[in-house]
Amino acid sequence: MTTTPRYIIGIDVGGTFTDLLAFDTATDQLLSAKVPSLPGAQWQGVLGALAELEIPFEAIRAFVHGTTIATNALLERKGARTALVTTKGFRDVIEIGKGRRLTGGIFDTTWQREPPLVPRDRRFEIDERTTADGSVLKEVALADIEQLAQLLRDQDIETIAVAFLNSYVNATNEQAVVAALGARLQGIPITQSARLIPERGEFERTSTAVLNAYLAPVVRKYLRTLAGVLSERGIRAPVNIMGSNGGAMTLDIAAEQCVATFLSGPVGGVGGAIRVSEQADIRDVITFDMGGTSTDVALVKNLMPRMSHDNQIDAYPLRYPQLDIHTIGAGGGSIVWIGADQTLQIGPRSAGALPGPACYGRGGTEPTISDANLLLGRLSSDRALAGGLQLDLAAARAAFDTLATAAGTDDLSALANAAIAVAVAKMAGAVREVSVHRGFDPRDFALVAFGGAGPMHGFLVAEELGMARVIVPRYPGHLSALGQMVADARRDFVKAWGGRLSTVALDDLRAEAETLRREGEAQLTADGIAVARHRHEFVLDMRYAGQSFTLPVAWRPADPDFTALRQSFDAAHEETFGYADRTNEAEIVNIRLVSIGEVDKPALNFAPDAQSAPTPRRRKVWFGGWTDTAIYDRADLPVGFVFSGPAIIEEAGGTSIVPPGWTVRVHESGAMIGELPE
Amino acid sequence: MKEIGRLELIRESLVAVVNEMRANVIRSSYSSIIYEGHDFSCALVMADGRLVAQGDADNPIHIFAVPYSTAEVAKTFAGDIHPGDIFLHNDPYTGGTHLNDVLMLYPVFHEGRLALFTATRCHWGDVGGMTPGSLSGRVTEVYQEGLRIVPTRICERGRMNEAFINLLLDNMRIREERRGDFNTMLGASRKAAEHIGRLFKRFGGHAFLDSIEELIARSERLMRARISDIPDGVYQAEGYLDSNGHSPEPLVGRLKLTVTGDRMIADFTGSSPQTGGPTNVGPAMALNAVASVVKSYLDPQTPVNHGSFNPLQVINPPGSFLNATLPAPCGGMVECRAIMVALMVSALGQALPERLIGDLKGGANHVYMSGPRPSGDGSKAGLFLLYEYPAGGTGATRSNDGNHVVRAFPEGDFNTVQAAEIVEMQCPVRVEHYGIREGSCGDGMFRGGCGMRRDIRILADEASLSVLADHAIIPPFGVAGGHSGALNSFVVLRDGEVIAPSPIAGKVGGFKLQKGDIVRMESAGGGGYGDPLDRDPARVAHDVLLGYVSAEDALKRYGVAFASSGEVDAPATSDARARLRKARLELAINSADADTYDGARRRMEVPRAIADRLGLADGDLMELATATSGSALRGWVRIAEGGENVSLGPTGRAVLGVKAGDTVEVRAARSAT
Repeated sequence: MTTTPRYIIGIDVGGTFTDLLAFDTATDQLLSAKVPSLPGAQWQGVLGALAELEIPFEAIRAFVHGTTIATNALLERKGARTALVTTKGFRDVIEIGKGRRLTGGIFDTTWQREPPLVPRDRRFEIDERTTADGSVLKEVALADIEQLAQLLRDQDIETIAVAFLNSYVNATNEQAVVAALGARLQGIPITQSARLIPERGEFERTSTAVLNAYLAPVVRKYLRTLAGVLSERGIRAPVNIMGSNGGAMTLDIAAEQCVATFLSGPVGGVGGAIRVSEQADIRDVITFDMGGTSTDVALVKNLMPRMSHDNQIDAYPLRYPQLDIHTIGAGGGSIVWIGADQTLQIGPRSAGALPGPACYGRGGTEPTISDANLLLGRLSSDRALAGGLQLDLAAARAAFDTLATAAGTDDLSALANAAIAVAVAKMAGAVREVSVHRGFDPRDFALVAFGGAGPMHGFLVAEELGMARVIVPRYPGHLSALGQMVADARRDFVKAWGGRLSTVALDDLRAEAETLRREGEAQLTADGIAVARHRHEFVLDMRYAGQSFTLPVAWRPADPDFTALRQSFDAAHEETFGYADRTNEAEIVNIRLVSIGEVDKPALNFAPDAQSAPTPRRRKVWFGGWTDTAIYDRADLPVGFVFSGPAIIEEAGGTSIVPPGWTVRVHESGAMIGELPE
Repeated sequence: MKEIGRLELIRESLVAVVNEMRANVIRSSYSSIIYEGHDFSCALVMADGRLVAQGDADNPIHIFAVPYSTAEVAKTFAGDIHPGDIFLHNDPYTGGTHLNDVLMLYPVFHEGRLALFTATRCHWGDVGGMTPGSLSGRVTEVYQEGLRIVPTRICERGRMNEAFINLLLDNMRIREERRGDFNTMLGASRKAAEHIGRLFKRFGGHAFLDSIEELIARSERLMRARISDIPDGVYQAEGYLDSNGHSPEPLVGRLKLTVTGDRMIADFTGSSPQTGGPTNVGPAMALNAVASVVKSYLDPQTPVNHGSFNPLQVINPPGSFLNATLPAPCGGMVECRAIMVALMVSALGQALPERLIGDLKGGANHVYMSGPRPSGDGSKAGLFLLYEYPAGGTGATRSNDGNHVVRAFPEGDFNTVQAAEIVEMQCPVRVEHYGIREGSCGDGMFRGGCGMRRDIRILADEASLSVLADHAIIPPFGVAGGHSGALNSFVVLRDGEVIAPSPIAGKVGGFKLQKGDIVRMESAGGGGYGDPLDRDPARVAHDVLLGYVSAEDALKRYGVAFASSGEVDAPATSDARARLRKARLELAINSADADTYDGARRRMEVPRAIADRLGLADGDLMELATATSGSALRGWVRIAEGGENVSLGPTGRAVLGVKAGDTVEVRAARSAT
């Protein structure tokens, strides 16, 4: 084994499994591994997966890691003991916001607000003030900081967010407090709101800063541990983390901007799905990534995923750019239970990685969606599953027996089938959220089904929505890792700057843009990416004078004047809102820059080796009744092979279930493309 | 099975159309009330006005009145509605809410026949009238509240009636902003109509419309089944609004709710006559309030359509403040709807005690600050107009505390104040404080939520303040023995002095503000549930730790004492609670043949010895409550020289759910702070 760096690694640590894909640039071979995740020690999954493939650490050339560490810590409320420092009179902003509920509750008399991440006794006020035009009305007094530092020590604070009013215009006071606290409380991470996201709106900016602070110690500890164990073992390649914007970022950036990693796992899947769709020449897809505990869906139009700037995670506003991915808390490990009104309910509790579904034989006793699939013969109890797992039919049956008693039935198959139907309806709702609710018809899109449980349910979800095309990528259990493997480095920047087009000077705009561009260039260069491979794209947030919300309009610094910009904006406004206000002034509100550093991408070839038509095994599988069904090994399917449902395709990363009526063809790229005739 | 999926898909599509309209309105609108405050709603209605869908965050206060307005338009222009027509409406007497809420109806045709209307109701920041922002607590007739638009065709077969629109806009403050609001509504309507066109094509127009009918029928069946589960009976409620804005006389609202089989009849007969102040509403608002509570109590999950309304009947004789006629002002629409919601909560809460919930802030809390925009060079810089409507604490329930400063279940979900950073950029003011109003919660085994305090300093040379709010005199009620929340309060701080901006609290019309003044808005706390002395001391300790309630109040109001370590002192708590219990006054009810009133005020005759003990004087507000009652029964003290008990007539006994001889707690009805 040579020590020349030759492996490009994408590794995705999910709640249930850790997936690793390695592309060997020396042999053009793709290797994959899937090992169970260890909650609380994600890095062990990383090491386990690398060990399984026997990849020497020094032979790693690039390493991109998707992690759910921030997301999990938030959802489980296992962040650090956080303090918030605000302008005097405003410590309650994160608790009461602007008086909205934000988490539903219309007509709901029992609605309760989710407690803020920083309780009121850990929110401190400083007598300081910056006005809306950026002038400092009241400077920070040193004595106040001394006193505050002592209070923070007394409270055993582990992390701090500082968010002052109007700091997005002038952050002098905010910076002063951060610097002074930093000097007095060494080793405690401090998040400064305007540094993290210099945008107007104290509630959203403070909330984002609080999220970041709350998660910083957890994320940093993990990243330090990960970097430590990897370098101990001799890795020389930079270790990068997948960011929510769909690009890779360094560990240092990830440690500072934890809020940029909420979608670290899911974006990899979207990137991978785009790559696979592109190969199949299908440009409009909805990605359907169903794992053990949750399902992520995203809409991709013309191979471009949608971006979203004003987000919310859990009950908390998140003003940070990320791909527009909708997540629901239901997956293969979701627990099936009987509600108070004797209805069949799925999740949101999940069996997770430990103990896992009953059929994993790790001590789980509650019935899950995976157990239902095993009972219906859709999963096999004869052959080992991903990660060498042998499914335990008796345990699944025992779990469903208990459920059947509670439901007052003795027909296990019908019950298992009903559970899957409810789960599929939930999944379809998530797909509607990103399509119908955003003005798209899902029938105009193909569903890309992946993740451990995606190919098992994708065809059923498509049927529910009238979608006639499903793509199951090769290595469906590793698609996030694939996306990470091919991810470019990416930085998103925003600067609150602007004015009316009639009054702003083009040269000033260019100068501001150039400052941003240099920052992007510097960061990408620091990441080790040659300037020749940088790409900088500007977008201006624009609106008509008097409006508040903005539309993104692409802009090139080389444009000779604002004519093209104005035309693009009017056109976008008319397209989006039904009218253009051509006689009104238009203004620029923010300058946004996306800086992309292109990395080497493996020339992936997924074409299967198989040459001749395979002979399927057969077994009885439940499709509204026990049906004789063909069972294929995915590796045996040659390019161009066509088969019809009902069929089951087994492979290491997941099982595909093709219901009756579908016709599937193996594409040149290795993907299976299923179609449902009218 | 296929059909169920299809119905669900159509239902989702309908809601998606409305959600898309919402997004378009928010993002393209010109006035902060809409883009920051989200004070608008969107809906789809059938050609006859029946409600088809509203969005996830739309406010029922806007939407549940749309069917009435649409039916008026359909009636006025029967057989004469064509593609390219657009209708405008805001008249409260024909289905409007208050004049600021302007409704645009945009007809959608299928195969040449009128099929649906898209409906967009936006709160315009100003519609003319006597004060900036148009809503004032001091008006005497509707003409002072702005321009009234009866059902009007503003666009005929694609030809816009510019003369009419100019007449409207020329009589409103900040014309450009109004024009922007108008364009926004137009744009959102057009996009929605296009979207519906695509749905017609996708599902087939007839099948699509048939599915809507099926969805409405299913909602009706579900609602009827739910009503059937409620014990048949007649449930009564009585409640008060502070005043009409001009006199200190309260207004009484009365409700007799009859549940019979799968129907409900809500009868508001006996409520106060319409007034010469802003606290009146037109005919659409009673069903609006009734349906909002019924939907919330019985079927909160299913998306709303007209089927839920069909089993409900409203009796509401014209001429009362709950069904007013020209020229009664209707600016206090939210306040009047709030009292009807409160009456429904009390009445339906007697039938479904597990659903009881403490009262809220009692209305919208409209607050306007307006004046000339200062300009450095002395040029004309126009007006600024800052409009906020602060949320309060929500009511407690049988199993949970109320929430602090947030919209409640029947109020939709939108912002109630704006970001300080936006306010300060757009108006010559500085927000100096925004936070939880400590101690303002109504006490109870579960306490209400706290209201908020917000201080805004005026930086302009001059400005005016208008306020239209209720529950600034009569506090939000508690339930099941729980106590009142704090009153709404709106004052001006000038040179360290507190100035009441009007003789009648909560109703301010054009008070002159000076540079440097601070307008202090404090919103009400929610009513409590149950006996505060039964509150888990650990919950009280937590409230004290977080500063929602002071340690002093914990002892005084909850009987919870703390050791110097900060831990609950159990023996001292036990003593304190025993002492507080003993100090209470519980009396057996005497039966009277009739309820007695002084004008609108329920008269409660209290023996002098008892009044003295409670610190009550003639004319004070008091209340009777029991652990099993719905809302506390309010009345005004009339001191009696003799006797030992309090007498109640049949209505009072019915509202309180007591019979002669039952023991009730007699106490002052005081604001929590």
